[in-house]
Amino acid sequence: MSKSEDTESRTHDSSHDTKLMHIVAHTPRGKGILDCIQCGRCTSSCPMARQTSRYNPRRLMEMITIGLKEEVLSNTPWYCLSCFTCVDKCPQGADVGEVIFAIRNIAAREGHIPPGIKAQGGNIIDTGKISNPTKSILKQRQEMGLPEIEPSDTEELLKILRKTGFDKIIGHK
Amino acid sequence: MKYAFFIGCLVPARELSYEFAARKILPTLDVELVDMHGANCCAPFGIQSLDYISWLALATRNLCIAEEMGLDILALCSDCYESLLMTNTILKENSDIKGQVNEVLSEIGKEFKGEIEIKHMIDVLYEDVGPEKIKNAVVTPLTDLKVATQPGCHLVRPKMLHFGSVGGYDELDELVRATGAEVIDYDGKEICCGGPIRDTFDKYSRSLINQKIKAMKKANVDCAVTICPFCFLQLDLGQREIQTRFKEELNLPIFHFPELLSIALGFKLTDPQIRDHRISINHILEKYNGYEVSS
Repeated sequence: MSKSEDTESRTHDSSHDTKLMHIVAHTPRGKGILDCIQCGRCTSSCPMARQTSRYNPRRLMEMITIGLKEEVLSNTPWYCLSCFTCVDKCPQGADVGEVIFAIRNIAAREGHIPPGIKAQGGNIIDTGKISNPTKSILKQRQEMGLPEIEPSDTEELLKILRKTGFDKIIGHK
Repeated sequence: MKYAFFIGCLVPARELSYEFAARKILPTLDVELVDMHGANCCAPFGIQSLDYISWLALATRNLCIAEEMGLDILALCSDCYESLLMTNTILKENSDIKGQVNEVLSEIGKEFKGEIEIKHMIDVLYEDVGPEKIKNAVVTPLTDLKVATQPGCHLVRPKMLHFGSVGGYDELDELVRATGAEVIDYDGKEICCGGPIRDTFDKYSRSLINQKIKAMKKANVDCAVTICPFCFLQLDLGQREIQTRFKEELNLPIFHFPELLSIALGFKLTDPQIRDHRISINHILEKYNGYEVSS
């Protein structure tokens, strides 16, 4: 069975979540889902869809409208490159590349976060930055006459991130 | 021209040559860079994927620091640029979201006012300095150098966001031409470098690099130029990974644009700068007298 047939057969499955589309539409960056007409210009312009059939933005949008929550919140949305080609190509302004962030935000709250992304979140809480220099880089900076890298105010950042609940989302202790 | 210099995380931690060249070149073109004290990560796409208000609050804290300095921001990294630009635009246009973010920031005594603009280094070089001034400042024209440009995604897309900002392919190409080099078109110039999925789906990330480098080589260029640390990491280190893994000789030199500009303006690249490159750039430096022999 091809993947698209599989999606169609699931439309008759009782496990679909009929509220999903409106949940996504009410999540920040997700309102474009209501404008999608399934024309497929997103998929035809998507550089990731050209690499693998596992990622098909048109089908992802369809799965949201059908309510296939499990598939939608799985690893599928993490294939997106955020290159925003689909956003520029969409004739409806459905902003597929934006909707991806709404799905990821929902997925993150349900604990579906790729380890690399979770690590980025942890780094921000611990150091205020995603990439931090090694000792040899710090030495090289000195040799090149580049200014010292100031540590971020992690106390301030923690205040912000506790207030937004970010620490809980990534399960940071 | 004076800007709050938002340096980000990746550039000062891994791409010192980019930072070094930018700090050297911009002031000679009358762009003054003022370092931002206490800035944090811009909150790029990985963080945006986790939580909307957390993203905006982290990014806005940086905007507040620049507002306190009374300066517009100049960013070297296209991801930083887009995250800060999106945040600045959303908060200026949506008072409800601005209120939510300001409530979070009240915890640390900061408030977004909406007083500054966000620029990428390329915007500043094109709008404030201009190709003519650069052309006049060139002492070593890069004649006969065939260059492929990699503008990347976040300087140009989505179109709506970049309305009113320069950030197009043509502007970067024109700046490269101002050095005396020739810009050569290639297939898939608009396509992503694969950086955002480097950690999550490395196989596809490599495949995107491979296709891009092959397309550049097919166009017979001498080197490629990037203006984003992720694009550079992918095309330079990523190219090296492909060479090692698949025993394939690609050897296409990759330059950060300010490095190329350095050579044209008569500044030689130093040893530590050259060591930042996994794919050798030496033959190009020799040709244009761009290598400083260390004492």
